[in-house]
Amino acid sequence: MERGRSPGGEIAMIRHRWLLLLFRVIVGGVFIWAGALKIADPLGFAQSIKNYQVVPPGLAFLIAVVLPWVEVLSGAFLIIGVFKRSSALLISLLLIGFIGLVALALVRGIDTSCGCFGSFSRRADLSLILTDAVLLVFALCVFFARPLRRNH
Amino acid sequence: MKRLFCGILVIVVLSIVLAAAFNFPLLRRFAAGEFREGFIDRREYAGIRFITLAETEDLFAQRTQGAEGLLFIDSRGDDDFAAGHIPGALSIPLGRVKRSGNTDTGTELTGTLEFPDAQTLIVYCEGGDCQTSIALAKIIHDKGYMDIRIFIGGWAEWSAAGLPEERSR
Repeated sequence: MERGRSPGGEIAMIRHRWLLLLFRVIVGGVFIWAGALKIADPLGFAQSIKNYQVVPPGLAFLIAVVLPWVEVLSGAFLIIGVFKRSSALLISLLLIGFIGLVALALVRGIDTSCGCFGSFSRRADLSLILTDAVLLVFALCVFFARPLRRNH
Repeated sequence: MKRLFCGILVIVVLSIVLAAAFNFPLLRRFAAGEFREGFIDRREYAGIRFITLAETEDLFAQRTQGAEGLLFIDSRGDDDFAAGHIPGALSIPLGRVKRSGNTDTGTELTGTLEFPDAQTLIVYCEGGDCQTSIALAKIIHDKGYMDIRIFIGGWAEWSAAGLPEERSR
């Protein structure tokens, strides 16, 4: 009986782990890519932040300088598995922030490029919120996965 | 829990250190007072500068007195332009320039971004936090124009000052 249950459980866990690894690579990869493009053009990103009309220009500049590094580092840590849960949480918080910002821009009728992928950016619209929401689900899966396994 | 926040702290602190090291020259320029009006790299866009209402008024007066080579460009949408604009301004809505892909090469609007009689171009948008004038100025600058002034106060400041207005039908 136990021998019969165990392989099934292991397979489920392995699939679970592979799935989580896939989530980590997808979310981490997107964040590394997005961050690297912004690191290459801090002024362009500062302008994008300013376009959302939420923070004063000085703060927009400082965010534009630091945030891309947070994205790259948390993305890289998420993939290689160092501070995995911290990275997943940080990325989730960032994504919630991005979703909020885009939603706010939509409500206020601000027609702007999202600024999310440097010069590859698209318009800040509903489909962008959906993309961010999918990434958020992936990141949250990674964040909540480990404690659940411990409880087994 | 503690480990979780330690990890976040490490990432944030490391980011700040790397950002400061990587952008040191840029941060120094920021501390020296650059990038306060708009995030335009003065070295990259040497031909663009920001002007005040008084300077814009002065240029407008020169133009009405017959000075040549001055052109006002309105980067707002068609409706806003029709409702009121600086007399004699040319309407180039940024949205249309972008949609036509005019930032690249060989497009239907390319002709619109050539101003054979103008040396000094004054670009403005709504004012306040509007950014289309800056974006349009950059595109025009990339076309080779070297004297572009951005009137950052824009239409809001112009009309509030009770200066001459023109309306389209």
